[in-house]
Amino acid sequence: MTTLEIRDVSVIYKKLAAVSHISLHVSKGEIIGFIGADGAGKSSLIHAIAGVIQFEGEILYSGHSYHSPQEAEAIKPIMGLMPQGIGLVLYDTLSVMEHLEFFADLRGLTKDEKFYAYRKKLLHMSGLSDFTDRLAGNLSGGMMQKLSLICTLLHRPKLLILDEPTTGVDPLSRLELWEILDNIRKEEGTIIIVSTAYMQEAAKMDRIFLFDEGNIIAQGTSRALLNSIASYTYIATQDTTKNAITFDKRTYSLENLNAEHTQPTLEGLFFINALKNNKTLAPVTIEQRQTEKNIPEIVMQAKGISKYFGSFVANDHINMTLKRGEILGLLGANGAGKTTFIKMLLGLYKIDDGELKLLGKSIKSAQDRMTLKGKIGYVSQHFALYNDMTVKENLIYFANMHKIPLQTAMQRINTYAKELGFDKHMNDLPKELPLGVNQRFSIAAALLHEPVVLFLDEPTSGVDTLARAQFWQILHKLKEKWGISILITTHYMSEAEYCDKVVLLKRGKKIADDTVENLYKNNPNAKTFEDIFLAYFKAES
Amino acid sequence: MKIFFVVFSKEIISFMRSFMLVLVVLYSFTVDVYIAGSGIQIKPRNVVVGYVDNSGGGISQKILSHLHQPEFLPPKAFLSQKALSAAIFNKEVLVGIIFDSNFEKFYREGKNTTLNVLLDATAASQSLTTLTYLQNIILDFEKLTIPITIKSHKLFNQNADNHSFIGLTEMLSVITMLAIILTAIVFVKEKEEGTWDIMLLMPVDPKIIILAKSLSQVFIVVAGVILTLGFVTFGTFNTPMNGSFWIFILLTFLYAFSTAGIGLFVAAVSKNVMQVAQLSIIIIMPLIFLSGAWTPIYAMHPFFQKLSLISPLRYYIEGSESLFYRGTSFVDMLPYLAGVSILGVIVYWIGFKKIGKLF
Repeated sequence: MTTLEIRDVSVIYKKLAAVSHISLHVSKGEIIGFIGADGAGKSSLIHAIAGVIQFEGEILYSGHSYHSPQEAEAIKPIMGLMPQGIGLVLYDTLSVMEHLEFFADLRGLTKDEKFYAYRKKLLHMSGLSDFTDRLAGNLSGGMMQKLSLICTLLHRPKLLILDEPTTGVDPLSRLELWEILDNIRKEEGTIIIVSTAYMQEAAKMDRIFLFDEGNIIAQGTSRALLNSIASYTYIATQDTTKNAITFDKRTYSLENLNAEHTQPTLEGLFFINALKNNKTLAPVTIEQRQTEKNIPEIVMQAKGISKYFGSFVANDHINMTLKRGEILGLLGANGAGKTTFIKMLLGLYKIDDGELKLLGKSIKSAQDRMTLKGKIGYVSQHFALYNDMTVKENLIYFANMHKIPLQTAMQRINTYAKELGFDKHMNDLPKELPLGVNQRFSIAAALLHEPVVLFLDEPTSGVDTLARAQFWQILHKLKEKWGISILITTHYMSEAEYCDKVVLLKRGKKIADDTVENLYKNNPNAKTFEDIFLAYFKAES
Repeated sequence: MKIFFVVFSKEIISFMRSFMLVLVVLYSFTVDVYIAGSGIQIKPRNVVVGYVDNSGGGISQKILSHLHQPEFLPPKAFLSQKALSAAIFNKEVLVGIIFDSNFEKFYREGKNTTLNVLLDATAASQSLTTLTYLQNIILDFEKLTIPITIKSHKLFNQNADNHSFIGLTEMLSVITMLAIILTAIVFVKEKEEGTWDIMLLMPVDPKIIILAKSLSQVFIVVAGVILTLGFVTFGTFNTPMNGSFWIFILLTFLYAFSTAGIGLFVAAVSKNVMQVAQLSIIIIMPLIFLSGAWTPIYAMHPFFQKLSLISPLRYYIEGSESLFYRGTSFVDMLPYLAGVSILGVIVYWIGFKKIGKLF
């Protein structure tokens, strides 16, 4: 029987263990999933199994044992690896069919009847049959991932390893990717290892492994895992006397709480793990802002805003309104036009068509923006910070740029550091810090001048569950105390739950725009936001 | 003004903290200039001469005895012209001299005699200079009484020493390269990391940020120039400084500023540090070739002579050389200062326009 066995594997980068002492066992036809944040060790383990990096320990695949990339060469003909990143293995200037030819030649496949039949089947499964002449560069993100997958499947691997194949892909394509995987493992008996950042995908896997800081903190079927923490999960309660973490309408605690139990989510496993390690979410307190600001009722109003890059329509006549004290979630897959939209609001891109009103002022030129600069806060994708300056120096620098007197600036910096919980890291360089800390301190940088509106571009991407939970607490506190308006983009559909209003983009077009309650009301059958968006995506295509 | 200093000092701190960059700058301004100055030779040195002597020796050996070190290694004897040709073909010998069997006989009889010389013309300047040496040796040997004597006066560079000259040229090239690349990198790194967008959104005029950022790099370059002048140019090569040191620093500052403008332009059109490197090379090479650094301007094709007018390096090189060797006064330096400044302002303005603005 073909099995994969991992025995005590560690991967060490520059004396730092990316994953330490991991053992697991996978049987034929099984799909196992690695779930965790960026830097939790999923990719390192995946690369070790694929035999592309050095590791310690032993890996056994159907009787063949290997301890290093050299020894793994022997099983590479029956292995398929799809690396992280959308369309990374594809060539923009080759067509879909040329890709299949290329990968077949690369693997030295004999092109007989069976090959053509299998290729046709793969094309059919991926829904790419009608697009065989299209260049990869012109495919959508979801199609690119499906093409990457069938290219990896072309040589019928018995061990298929996929590193975050669904991250940033639209919900419909994600569903289709999972269907392909399910078919393949049933028909070919392939062992499939998938890593993902989306908790919701856990249900599609036979067994899941939750990663946190290089260790597996829980494993089993998603049902069993949920059951294991059911007794720790309560309906959200304000009882703060005991060690507990409250997030997303649930409170998790190891101790008995005076509240009713409720259905846990997989995120809960990370909270429970944190509690077991005596960690809790640092309490977030936000004080009233120092300056009183007059905020108009409508903070941002976009009418028919469009952006064209050549013949490509990045934003197609988008209307959007952001009200005072509202958290607006701008959701969509990678390439849906979220970042383009935010950049147009900020003036980093030219608005090709349409009208924009910010804080009651019509924006026509760069001059119009000058007066508003002091009222807008912005956190860009990947938290743009100066990596060769310490956290403190970064913040002082930003304060200086906003012409905040040094004394006021220092006082605010110290307050935020305490409130947002990064005061221990003030003298560290950003690149040495976990993503979650960088995330909080870039928020602080954007808040220094006490803006009335915040634009956040994918601030939660790749951040671990705890940090993400804390981040949303910060945003809600900010809204509550400052009456600030927040526009946030994300590709995690589940985060829509924490917004007041949601706008869904698909390839530059707005396909949904409503409050969270209304969306649930209009889709009574939907259990999660994932389902709601799937419905919108299906209706559109 | 405060913002200017904030940005300026931040850039200097960032520079000092990036170890590799500091190393590259130090290397370029010291070791690189030294290697170029001491390594590049135009005069013959250690030239290998081979000969075939069928004349029986006598005059032939007298002529050969003039070829001595350091210019020439002791001449090697070959038995036949074929063997000598083969040696030249194999790059073992650079210059071959063939004394025919009746070379001495004809000479003694007062007839016209021929000395055959084989030259490896791939090492053009070395072998041709060797030929000139040979001609001089023979002229000396003849003791002809021509009623003209040449009395030469070498002006500005009495020893006709080209160490200091090439060292200086190399330093000017290094300044060009670093001013462009350092400035471009400062901006592109911010673009790559996404901080540039944040800078544009600050309630500060982006012009001040751009000026402060590029001037910080100009400052680094000028500091490097002072380092080279002290250690290499004056310290090792003993280059004369006949003009005012401060005028040279002013000229350097203006030049570095105008090349920073080119760096700004490079930064504006490239997306990452890789592209900066590629684009910089494409821009730097013609800039240097058109400047007169390696070929005098008057020796260029007329079209390129016109084109060289738009290379700020041309004014800088001519200005610096005048200053160092001729000791030109401030008033006469004005055209060079003006040339560098005007071109600087133009490229800067283009860079400003391109690097980034809000819409």
